[in-house]
Amino acid sequence: MILVTTDAIPGREIERVIGLVRGNTVRSAPASEDLHAWFENVVGGEIPEYTRLLAQCREQALDRVVADARAKGADAVVALRFVSCEIAEGAAEILAYGTAVKLKG
Amino acid sequence: MNGTERPPSADDLAAMAYVDGELAPVERAAFEARLEREPALVREVAAQQRLAVLARSVAPREPMDLEWRRIESSMEHRVGAPLGWTLLAVGAGGLAAWCAFEVGAAPIGIVPKLLTAAIAAGFLLLLLLALRARSRTKPFDPYDDVLR
Repeated sequence: MILVTTDAIPGREIERVIGLVRGNTVRSAPASEDLHAWFENVVGGEIPEYTRLLAQCREQALDRVVADARAKGADAVVALRFVSCEIAEGAAEILAYGTAVKLKG
Repeated sequence: MNGTERPPSADDLAAMAYVDGELAPVERAAFEARLEREPALVREVAAQQRLAVLARSVAPREPMDLEWRRIESSMEHRVGAPLGWTLLAVGAGGLAAWCAFEVGAAPIGIVPKLLTAAIAAGFLLLLLLALRARSRTKPFDPYDDVLR
């Protein structure tokens, strides 16, 4: 499965557009990590607990985009985007979406 | 590969193909039907998915990673962190017990006492259910090992 953020794939021709594919997830860190992150927030710098939390969200949302695209018979997803928001205190949502396409050849 | 590794079985290969999306629709449906009734196969798929996620998210180590490891293995951290958590847990647990005792001994009617006990019991029950659900689904969550 080819995933690109561009609208086209250089060297490949799009045979047809299948449509929107998307995947989202909401994850939270355990309370112990939240508390540890609070202390790190006080002193500044990277908060590894939250870096990890968002990375986990990103990978899971991406996998769900790929699963959605596969289920629809796509070869690639173009114009891939990520959006995120905080849905609750300490919980992060990431939505990944793009356009599933069938490639020629 | 070392000498102790076994060659992949047909189920291993099928799980890899399933995770990689390489099965034809008919094969995929048949494999998913097997997943409904074979817990061992579900575990194999989870293991393969974990590997796939890890392989995708491998990034070069940063100098800060090494410093974090040194900090975590230092004596101050190894002694201080458990001590800090223990003090917090003892303090929070003690405070909760003291509050429960005070509510129990307070000159108020039985109804407010029962309602307070119901809130505490409901909170604990829901927390235990969430913990149970998490502990059962955690082995199948391939994203737990993603670092960044």
